[in-house]
Amino acid sequence: MKNTKLELSVGLFVLLGVAAIVYLTIKLGTGSMVGGDTYLIESRFANAGGIHPGCSVLLSGVTVGRVEGIRMDPSDYSAIVTLKLTKGLRLPTDSMASVKTSGLIGDKFIALSPGADESYLQPGTRITMTESAVDLESLIGKMAFGSVDKDKDNKQKQGKSNP
Amino acid sequence: MRTRLFLQALLYPLLAAAVLAADNEAETRLKASVDEVTVIAKNSKDRASLINQEKPALAKILNFQIMTRRAIGPGWREFTPGQQAEAVKLFTDLILRTYTAKFTPGVTPSVVFKSTTSPEPGRQEITTTSEYKGSKYDVVYRMEQAQGPWEITDVVIEGVSMVANYRAQFDSQFKQGGVDAVLKALQKAVAESK
Repeated sequence: MKNTKLELSVGLFVLLGVAAIVYLTIKLGTGSMVGGDTYLIESRFANAGGIHPGCSVLLSGVTVGRVEGIRMDPSDYSAIVTLKLTKGLRLPTDSMASVKTSGLIGDKFIALSPGADESYLQPGTRITMTESAVDLESLIGKMAFGSVDKDKDNKQKQGKSNP
Repeated sequence: MRTRLFLQALLYPLLAAAVLAADNEAETRLKASVDEVTVIAKNSKDRASLINQEKPALAKILNFQIMTRRAIGPGWREFTPGQQAEAVKLFTDLILRTYTAKFTPGVTPSVVFKSTTSPEPGRQEITTTSEYKGSKYDVVYRMEQAQGPWEITDVVIEGVSMVANYRAQFDSQFKQGGVDAVLKALQKAVAESK
């Protein structure tokens, strides 16, 4: 009888431990551990590549929120990213949001840069002045393509100067 | 019910036409400005005359008051009206000198207008592809209509916003040394661009 009680207690303890680990993993993973009251605003990006729910939102290097969700606006195919920000943060209406990378190949995050307007963004409004993720591969491709063009231009110039 | 349907049928095309007209107005103004800048670059004989002629053409379509305020960021509120006027003058000078220096007399860019979107009322984003001296760039012009005509308030080249780029620099200067540090940085940048 004693053994059964002990086994049940241990089993319950292990189950609680597993449940706590699962809960923390999910909560920390999606970033819903931003403490205190929060509010939601949206930001519109031409390209939100690499951003996913749970990504950090930083202002002056300080975490002030998390990405709550991402959807596409079918009218112009832009990405609408919903940000969950701490309640005390007041952002001027001309604030900007940029998709940044920690280091060269690190995680993507949203960096906020407050503007100078006297009015402030209200919950549910949208930041439209944004900088999208810089596509490094595309830039490298353009550099390569550009050099091909320059070679062609140089040859044409040489041809003209040496008829 | 019928009245409501009738009103909807009447108003929706009018609203759509108004939005389309705004699109066209901003795009038409930008196209005219690009044409003007291109013709000046094509007809200029030397760099000095090119810069002198490009400056007023660019000043017509760029809203330097808004650009300076946004480029300086939150520190702008600490500026006195006199300091704000000086900052606008210096920033205007800096932008005009920096960008006219990129033009070469006789060489004209080819600009293809791709799309126009309206992220919110009174604001248009015109996406273009510019080809200049063998290189192609994606350029987005952010235009706003405050009280007068549509004006450019930011230019995004290959995903990098001009206003955001300057804001990061001026905000850092402001946090280190306040208004004086920002004005000194602007004066230094203008002097270096001469």
